[in-house]
Amino acid sequence: MKLISKYNRFTMPVIVLILLISGLLFYYILHYILLRQVDKDLRIEQSEIIHFVNEKKSLPETADYKDQKIDFIPSTADHYQENFATIRSKDKQNNNEIEDESFRRFQFLVKVDGKNYIARVTKSQQETEDIVTIISLLTLSIIGVLLVILAFINRIILANVWRPFYNSLEIIRHYKISGEKKINFSRTDIDEFAQMQSDFSLMAEKATNDYRSLKTFTENASHEMQTPLAIIRNKLEIFSQNSELNKKESQLLYSVHAAANRLSKLNESLLLLTKIENDYFINNESVNFSKLLSDYIETIKEPALIQNITINATIDQGVVINMNEPLAEILISNVVSNAFKHNYRDGEMNINLSQKEFRISNTGKEPMFNTEMLIERFQKDSANPDSIGLGLSIVKKITESYGFLLSYLYKNKTHIITILFKN
Amino acid sequence: MKILIIEDEVSLLESMAEYLSAQDYNCIKAATFHEALKASEEAEFDCILLDIGLPDGNGLKILEYLKMDKRKDGIVIISAKNSLDDKIKGLDLGADDYLSKPFHLSELNARVAAIIRRKSFDGINIITINNLTVNTRDKVVLVDEKPVDLTKKEYELLLYFISNKKRLISKEAIAEHLWGKEIGNAFDFIYTHIKNLRKKLIQAGSEDLIKSVYGMGYKFMGE
Repeated sequence: MKLISKYNRFTMPVIVLILLISGLLFYYILHYILLRQVDKDLRIEQSEIIHFVNEKKSLPETADYKDQKIDFIPSTADHYQENFATIRSKDKQNNNEIEDESFRRFQFLVKVDGKNYIARVTKSQQETEDIVTIISLLTLSIIGVLLVILAFINRIILANVWRPFYNSLEIIRHYKISGEKKINFSRTDIDEFAQMQSDFSLMAEKATNDYRSLKTFTENASHEMQTPLAIIRNKLEIFSQNSELNKKESQLLYSVHAAANRLSKLNESLLLLTKIENDYFINNESVNFSKLLSDYIETIKEPALIQNITINATIDQGVVINMNEPLAEILISNVVSNAFKHNYRDGEMNINLSQKEFRISNTGKEPMFNTEMLIERFQKDSANPDSIGLGLSIVKKITESYGFLLSYLYKNKTHIITILFKN
Repeated sequence: MKILIIEDEVSLLESMAEYLSAQDYNCIKAATFHEALKASEEAEFDCILLDIGLPDGNGLKILEYLKMDKRKDGIVIISAKNSLDDKIKGLDLGADDYLSKPFHLSELNARVAAIIRRKSFDGINIITINNLTVNTRDKVVLVDEKPVDLTKKEYELLLYFISNKKRLISKEAIAEHLWGKEIGNAFDFIYTHIKNLRKKLIQAGSEDLIKSVYGMGYKFMGE
């Protein structure tokens, strides 16, 4: 939910409620004032009638106008409490339309020549009601207009006041910890945003520095490990030439040799990974992907034949991708050899290449781990101890650095890896 | 055969020299740029193993000097960096081969043997072991003068064995030599290949020259 919506969700009902309550109050106060006004008019009428009676010693003529009616009812009572009342009457209008109309009636006692009459002065309240209706409509329209204006103001606020915020957000979103570019916010005069920007800049700078030193460390470490590893391997190779070794000794030696080999390969992959991360491979050229792929498939045909793995390759000719050629080779060899290594005897491998995508699927055992993790580093298939799990990490790193989309799926006993080329 | 080994890591230098000396190569060792320059000026070599990353100079300079002198020495560049630039630069400058660290000594040996064979013109393209003859120029294998029909991989395998006569070659080294690092070790292919190669050679009348050693690897027993 947007902040402004959250804000509106709270303020809008309050505003509407306040407007409704004040409208209601306004209605009653107005109603009361107007009623008092009518009552005052009625009292004036009363005093006029009494004045008339006192002077002329007779009742004034009854009157029956649309808005005022005066009539007298003979009464036997000596005392009558004068009273006001609001009455509703269904008045027959000219067009025979029955209109519900409210009246204010004032009743009081008049004495003429010892005879008692109750005078009834009735005044139409139509005007009052009209005014109240208008006021109500006005209040409602004010609510409506206010809401529209508020929405409009919010839009302006979003577009202007919040703009630095959204701009900063956009910059943060595109910020890459591995990128060379320093984070650069546009200036804002809003304190909170400025604070956020400076805090984030500091954080990003620290993260980038940490990341860089970690990258350098990893690269240096794996680089420095290469020589001792090479020495171990070569010495073991020479040592194993000793023909006086018995079977037990030879097997021990072989285990050490195999472990040193694995370590050495692991280290090589790690070094490659850090090199890709450290942008060692920046020279892009138009790479004939179709040719590289076909050539690589050629090299695995024989091993595949031995394992009786069927290779179905559909390769569009002339697929050219703008990337670093060695990386393209590494990408292809990792993906294809992966589909080969994680296959089984009499299995199948399908390779499709078009200008849009490179898809490879192979039969294989169901992965025992979360498939999303498959591409993460060091995920390895425990049944195949020689696979070191870095192959797909390298593929992922390469696809990332070119903005290709890498996806993995296990369906119908088939592993499917798809790389969508961007261009 | 004279080989100059230029490598700053003394331990590796010793290993390489020891392994190659056992193949009857005469190995001269150089651990620095200056030693290497001096050694290369004093004599010509059948093959020079050149480590690029020397502490007191870039190994590629030595290559440049050699090429300026129009020397015919075979040159294998060795680099720890696995860097493509070095590889391309080295091959552009006229190196014959490129090997990145870490490598199997048997692989190094095979590369050296291949270069020496390629560089020589007189008869050395024919390798004879007992009644087995390999013509590396025409890639033909004969047993008792009769050709043996080998697949490309079987031929490469035989040549690898011949280059590393009487040495224990690990299964990994063979697999990597034939199929490269990624696929080589995925399955135990080499067993099938070696079985077929042995069968073909024996059927043609050769002795059984390939010996399996405790599941570690294989040894080629011919003289």
